[in-house]
Amino acid sequence: MKKFFNRLLILALTGAMALTVASCGGGKTNDDNSAGEVDPTTGSTIVKVMFHVDVKSTEGQAYKKRIEAFNAAYKDRNIKASATYKARSAGAAGYETELLNNQVSGTLADIITFDAPNTASYAKSELLYDISSLVPDDVKNDFFSLNTYNGDLYGLPIQESSAGFYYNKKIFRELGIDVSGYTVDSPWTFDQFKDVCAKLKAGNVTPVDMRIDATKDEMATYLLYPFIYAAGGEFTSPDGYTATGYFNSDKTADGFKFIKSLIDAGYTSYSIGATDFFDGRVGMYLSSGWTIPDLDNKYKAVFASRDDWGLLPYPKSVTAASATGSWSLGITNNHHTDKSAAKELLLWLISTESSEAITTATGMIPARKSVNTNYAEGSPEYTLLKQLETTGRERPVTVAYPTFTTCFNQVIAALGTGDVNSLLNTQADTLQSEMNRLKR
Amino acid sequence: MENSVYENLPEISDKSAKTRKAVSLAVYIAAGVILSLIFLFPIIFMLATSTKSESAYAASAGRITMFLPDFANLGEAAKNYGNVFTDYGIWRYALNSLTYAAIAIVLNVLINGLAGYVMAKMDFPGKSFLSFMIIFLIVVPVETSIIPLYSIVKIMLGLKEGASVIGVILPAAISIFNIFLFSQFFESIPQEYEEAARIDGANTLVVFFRIILPLSKPIVATVAVFCFIGVWNDYIWPSMILPYNQEGEWPLYPIQAALTTIQSIQGITTGEIMASLIVTSIPIFIIYVLAQKYIVQGFGTAGLKM
Amino acid sequence: MTGSALIIAAVFIAIFVAFAVYDVLIAKKRSHKKYKTGTAVTAYLMLLPAVVLAFLFILLPILYSLGYAFTDYYLLQPNSISFIGFDNFKQVFEELAKGGTIYHALINTAIFVVGVVPLQIGLALGLALFVNKPFKGSKIFKVCFFAPVVISLSVTSFLWLQILSPSETGLLNSLLGVFGVAPHDWLRDPVTAMPCIIVLSAWQGCGYQMLIFLSGLSNIQKSLYEAAALDGAGAWHKFTAVTWPGLRSTFVYILITVFIGACRILTQPMLMTGYQNHTVTLSYYMYQQGYTYRWVGYSSAVALLMTIVIGTITLIQRRAFREKN
Repeated sequence: MKKFFNRLLILALTGAMALTVASCGGGKTNDDNSAGEVDPTTGSTIVKVMFHVDVKSTEGQAYKKRIEAFNAAYKDRNIKASATYKARSAGAAGYETELLNNQVSGTLADIITFDAPNTASYAKSELLYDISSLVPDDVKNDFFSLNTYNGDLYGLPIQESSAGFYYNKKIFRELGIDVSGYTVDSPWTFDQFKDVCAKLKAGNVTPVDMRIDATKDEMATYLLYPFIYAAGGEFTSPDGYTATGYFNSDKTADGFKFIKSLIDAGYTSYSIGATDFFDGRVGMYLSSGWTIPDLDNKYKAVFASRDDWGLLPYPKSVTAASATGSWSLGITNNHHTDKSAAKELLLWLISTESSEAITTATGMIPARKSVNTNYAEGSPEYTLLKQLETTGRERPVTVAYPTFTTCFNQVIAALGTGDVNSLLNTQADTLQSEMNRLKR
Repeated sequence: MENSVYENLPEISDKSAKTRKAVSLAVYIAAGVILSLIFLFPIIFMLATSTKSESAYAASAGRITMFLPDFANLGEAAKNYGNVFTDYGIWRYALNSLTYAAIAIVLNVLINGLAGYVMAKMDFPGKSFLSFMIIFLIVVPVETSIIPLYSIVKIMLGLKEGASVIGVILPAAISIFNIFLFSQFFESIPQEYEEAARIDGANTLVVFFRIILPLSKPIVATVAVFCFIGVWNDYIWPSMILPYNQEGEWPLYPIQAALTTIQSIQGITTGEIMASLIVTSIPIFIIYVLAQKYIVQGFGTAGLKM
Repeated sequence: MTGSALIIAAVFIAIFVAFAVYDVLIAKKRSHKKYKTGTAVTAYLMLLPAVVLAFLFILLPILYSLGYAFTDYYLLQPNSISFIGFDNFKQVFEELAKGGTIYHALINTAIFVVGVVPLQIGLALGLALFVNKPFKGSKIFKVCFFAPVVISLSVTSFLWLQILSPSETGLLNSLLGVFGVAPHDWLRDPVTAMPCIIVLSAWQGCGYQMLIFLSGLSNIQKSLYEAAALDGAGAWHKFTAVTWPGLRSTFVYILITVFIGACRILTQPMLMTGYQNHTVTLSYYMYQQGYTYRWVGYSSAVALLMTIVIGTITLIQRRAFREKN
């Protein structure tokens, strides 16, 4: 009995120790009104920037070259850029954890890269600095999309991406399916999309990989959300704090019902293997622009040249919509309150020249309209660029974005067996309660 | 039960008994091979895939051929393994891992071994509290986030770039479970050994290093092997704590952190990833094969009485 | 942070001193034994490195994590943390009562634990008995069975995804197809998903427990088997009369560690199905709340409750199964 009492006492005391912690939270580094650390040898101001890619990757190499060019050009003006490259490798939250750890220890870089859907929560948490007044209007107007929250500008995209339906031209030719008329300017409709699927199925080919099995991360959301916009649906109110009545509206349900009808008709399924399209077993494959280099280089056995594959835009219903959004650059709210030097580097990195240099290396679509792209009409890149110009819609801007992705994924994962309206009602409730929690 | 194969066989030099013995041995080996395949299939897959180009891999995915190497094109295997060493230079990171593991093992045995010895053999005020804490921390698993640990290491140790290696090694050098293991093992060592040494005038540290440690090879080997596997396989913590240099490289990374970073580079093929995984699994297997006898002994003698 | 850490260190030392004084008083009262000052000083010095490191890298992070349970710590605002009492706990119970995700997480974790603990321990024991033979080749088997323990989880999970693939050409489906069974979506079907995760977890982990069972078996004296054989005992009787009683303390250790590990299952559902109501577990829920949704405070509250529940159950297990001495 005594022994037991002893143990209870220890438990209580350990608990008390835990409680003392709460009152003494993290320490905050003091602001200083400088524009950055000063290089002791040259006396120039150092602007720190952190990229989310590895320096050895093609994208990392492109950034590195632009940073070197900046340092050469700004030597006389005494500003020096210092870049760190932290690949998003250690799990889903790897890069973000690094950001936050830096914030805790007061070593947050002056400029960071971030995924576009994080704009709202980073802006609300004052991780990002409002750059509305730092960026000239003509520069803002030159972008396909901007990272805004509550009407203020928090970030500018480095490069753009869009998605579409890659198709196996050999299969289409063999089955006599003609899709040449379906372009961004005269897109195909949901019904025409289904017709093509029906013909493929009649030819004993799995019609389309809609990636409905990719619900473990952002992939399914990124590729499928345009269908809901195309059906006239919405996900949240414009301020991002209401989901009820948007996420479960009839129009939104129409979009999901279209995807479900593809599953029900056997046009797509959860069981298409990740590499089936590349092995010539599937007619169409929904994916982003990063599949272009893979098709050009990696799967020579099936896709010897661009004669063997092509890219179709998103189909339209009530309206046309396509995917946009990639990683962006923003200035942080760190302890350097003078943002003049950071502004110079930011404007340099998002300049037309940088945009061109970076996208030439990566093969992605430039974020700026003024970049001279020279894509041949009808080429996959041309289709993606056209979509960005005319039908691109960004994902919902809400501080509850991570929960939005989870809810979207749960609907997609249960679409095969569940009833669309009840699925949407359940997830709308979940999303709404998270929004209420964040509003406080 | 399979037990009957060897036990309970009276010594009869009858011919039929001999055949029965041979048959049951054959059954035993067959069962063992099938069971081994069930446990080895990931390695078979890794080996097979490491011989394939990306399109050959895509063609085999989801089919039984994914477990068979691409015999038609074995040059691809040489290319994959070659790239692992030349393009990605993984030997350098393997050397880092070996260094960290070696230091961590030495510290682990010294620090936890001393503490285990004190808990097993010495009497002092406050021992009740410490032995309770040891059992408590083993039995009650606390879900913790890695964030406070990061803050502690960064702020308290004030780690500069070069010294951040300390932040990788020190947390790996302490393990409550190892203290428990050591103390359980030391308790089984008869008091007479120590007393003989003490009569000769040896002090506690001398007794520990001259008498106790040499008698404790199995438990030292056990702790060393699991410490090695831990350090070798860890990647989240080192990639949080270790810096990138000015060129954006990560010269201090241990092997798994380097591999996960390399895997995020565009253009690395599945075959190359598997080749690098094969190469980096080899040390663990060698060490495990060499040490397994000691591990069984170590756990056995410690008794693991909780 | 340095300030609060010093306070905790002071509290820790105070508790230690209190217990030390208590020990001394008890010893005096009973007067059987007396502490020697020299021995005590040596002991403290030898313990010092371990205590300092354990305090910094084990105890302190635990206490901070638990402390966050009483705060509104939001991951993106690490510099404005305030104390909110038991609000997080209130919310946990509200969610639970509402039948929210945490309710599914609790049920799934319970199913997983009930399924995996007997399966993994049974497999481990079976394998240990299998390789515990005076036959040279059994050493090779021992290495093979241990292999999944050291292979990276991402590789094995990827492979299991291929095996359980819902398509007709999925490895398991095509195997069953030979017997005329229709293809099945193993991981998306709420009925089969958890059993699949249980099987693959047991498969992955049992090699380690096999090794520990082997060490337990090596402790059983051969003479006991010989005595049983003289009494004419069969294989089964030998197992119940000699092997099993000899493995008792090993079994308790394995039971406790497998149970704790099972309660904290996270990686397998994350890699196999993603965040879905039919496979979410408590640890996965915590991860999602703490990292993805950024509610560190709330997630810590769940962690604290989990710690209390798991701790209580293990203490009960330990009491119930421990050898009485």
